Amino acid sequence: MLLTPSEWAMLKTSSLESLYMVSVSALLTALAGIPLGVLLVVCRQGHILENRPLSRSLAFLVNATRSIPFPIFIVFVMPLTRLLAGTSIGTTATIVPLTLGAVVFMARLAETALLEVPFGVIEAAQTAGASNRQIIWRVLLPEARAGLIMAVTITIITLVSYSAMAGYIGGGGLGDLAIRYGYQRYQTRIMLVTVALLIAAVQAIQALGDLLVRGISWRRQG
Amino acid sequence: MALIEISGLVKTFGRGSQAVEAIKGVDLSVEPGEIFGIVGASGAGKSTLIRCLNRLEKPTAGRVVVDGRDMTNLPEKELRQARREMGMIFQHFNLLSSRTAAGNVAFPLEAAGRPKGETGPRVAELLDLVGLTDKAGAYPAQLSGGQKQRVGIARALANNPKVLLCDEATSALDPQTTLSILALIKDIQSRLGLTVVLITHEMTVITEICDRVAVMEAGRIVEAGPVLDIFANPRHPASSGFVEAVVGRRNQETGYQPKGVLVRVFFLGAAAREPLVASLVRLFAVEPNILQAHIDHIKGTAFGTLVMDMTGGAESCREALNFLRAQNLKLEVLANAPDA
Ligand SMILES: Nc1ncnc2c1ncn2[C@@H]1O[C@H](COP(=O)(O)OP(=O)(O)OP(=O)(O)O)[C@@H](O)[C@H]1O
Ligand SMILES: [Mg+2]
Repeated sequence: MLLTPSEWAMLKTSSLESLYMVSVSALLTALAGIPLGVLLVVCRQGHILENRPLSRSLAFLVNATRSIPFPIFIVFVMPLTRLLAGTSIGTTATIVPLTLGAVVFMARLAETALLEVPFGVIEAAQTAGASNRQIIWRVLLPEARAGLIMAVTITIITLVSYSAMAGYIGGGGLGDLAIRYGYQRYQTRIMLVTVALLIAAVQAIQALGDLLVRGISWRRQG
Repeated sequence: MALIEISGLVKTFGRGSQAVEAIKGVDLSVEPGEIFGIVGASGAGKSTLIRCLNRLEKPTAGRVVVDGRDMTNLPEKELRQARREMGMIFQHFNLLSSRTAAGNVAFPLEAAGRPKGETGPRVAELLDLVGLTDKAGAYPAQLSGGQKQRVGIARALANNPKVLLCDEATSALDPQTTLSILALIKDIQSRLGLTVVLITHEMTVITEICDRVAVMEAGRIVEAGPVLDIFANPRHPASSGFVEAVVGRRNQETGYQPKGVLVRVFFLGAAAREPLVASLVRLFAVEPNILQAHIDHIKGTAFGTLVMDMTGGAESCREALNFLRAQNLKLEVLANAPDA
């Protein structure tokens, strides 16, 4: 056996913690990030809801958030975390900085995917008398499906790595485990197993994303 | 009354020193049931003009009245309604890649809030109209250019529009497919009594289906009228340019040295069937050497051009030219050999 039974139990707990942090924050991130991405696109100059001031403010907010290295960002938003989660340590509290940090990342990726939709297609919809709401729901989002799924996949993978970083600051999960045992106590075995688990998780997420994208686009590539 | 009435239309893109005046004052009216063509070189402002009709571009000044409705200051909701009464097809088709042919045709019906039960039969009817019943379940990526444009046409007609706008609808298609799409537009136009406005940079598209044509250059309409008139008698250099693109003027470009009088003759209608050259040889002491001959059909009327190098002495040539003029043909002496 690579690990002792108690070590396995620890690994199991940490994995579940990671799974919890990543899945809840991934859900929240997608729910907020995709609409933010849509907003970033439609407020652009020449787009259906052109709005210069809003477009500039959003771009600034997104860039500002993304310029802060994630470990610093966690500390930076701690007051907000305490406000929302009642505490700043533990897995549930970690969901706050994870989501806030990943939303802007997700929004940028979603924006890129949505910009891939040729504007002519949107104009064709306008010509057909479609409203802006119809254009967003029936043109932009469905046309960008494949790109959006890829964006969500990349975001989830980023969340896996963010959650490991959050572990360093008392967030729990696999990252926490790897650092506590692997780094501070020189238990290389635990670190190796943890790293292997993280690699496997990322591979599985990517494979799932690719599978979904292929399912959508096989008919459309001709 | 005209169905489409454009007056004093100006469209400027950008502001200040970067301003581009794409339309510099256009007046135009399109009658119900006609196929109206707008031809012009790249950058002339054709797309901008046609996009002002359904307000994909908002005019800077002037008025656009379609079917009695002033498009220039319609509020959002009425604008959407007005747009449904005008179908539009595009050079690059602009189909939804995530929907099948049938799904694309259904889109305008959904946008108009038509009940679900109505959509299916209407889509089937439209696909039948454009001859694509067997492709209902195909995605755009599985269709050829011509088939995609047929889907585009079916989609444009979904809400029973009065007007069909075509923005370079055949420019991405090969000549054969272009002809079949033009024939389809013509057929649908006469069956449904549609009014069609089409823009193109190809004069052949105009001669194929248009009743009237406007020639655009640098943001202005420089000449407009029935296609045959413009063809037989282009007044503006831009119009001549497009006419020549069809009839050709290759002999001049190749630096041909005439031996006698180099003339170009235009025929119209019945005159195109007269044995003209035979008469010349029989009646005058001239020898016409035919360099180029062409007969085009513009909406069923024969339209011919003949370029010949006529030798046989100055006097005989003069008489021959007078004879031709007396036949009511349009004549143009392109060159004279120094000793003729
Ligand atoms: N959105 C825009 N912003 C700025 N300038 C524009 C815009 N659209 C068109 N223009 C300019 O307006 C002029 C007319 O363009 P337009 O597209 O109407 O020409 P066109 O006759 O359709 O040409 P083509 O045959 O190449 O399609 C051009 O100088 C073009 O650069
Ligand atoms: Mg154009």
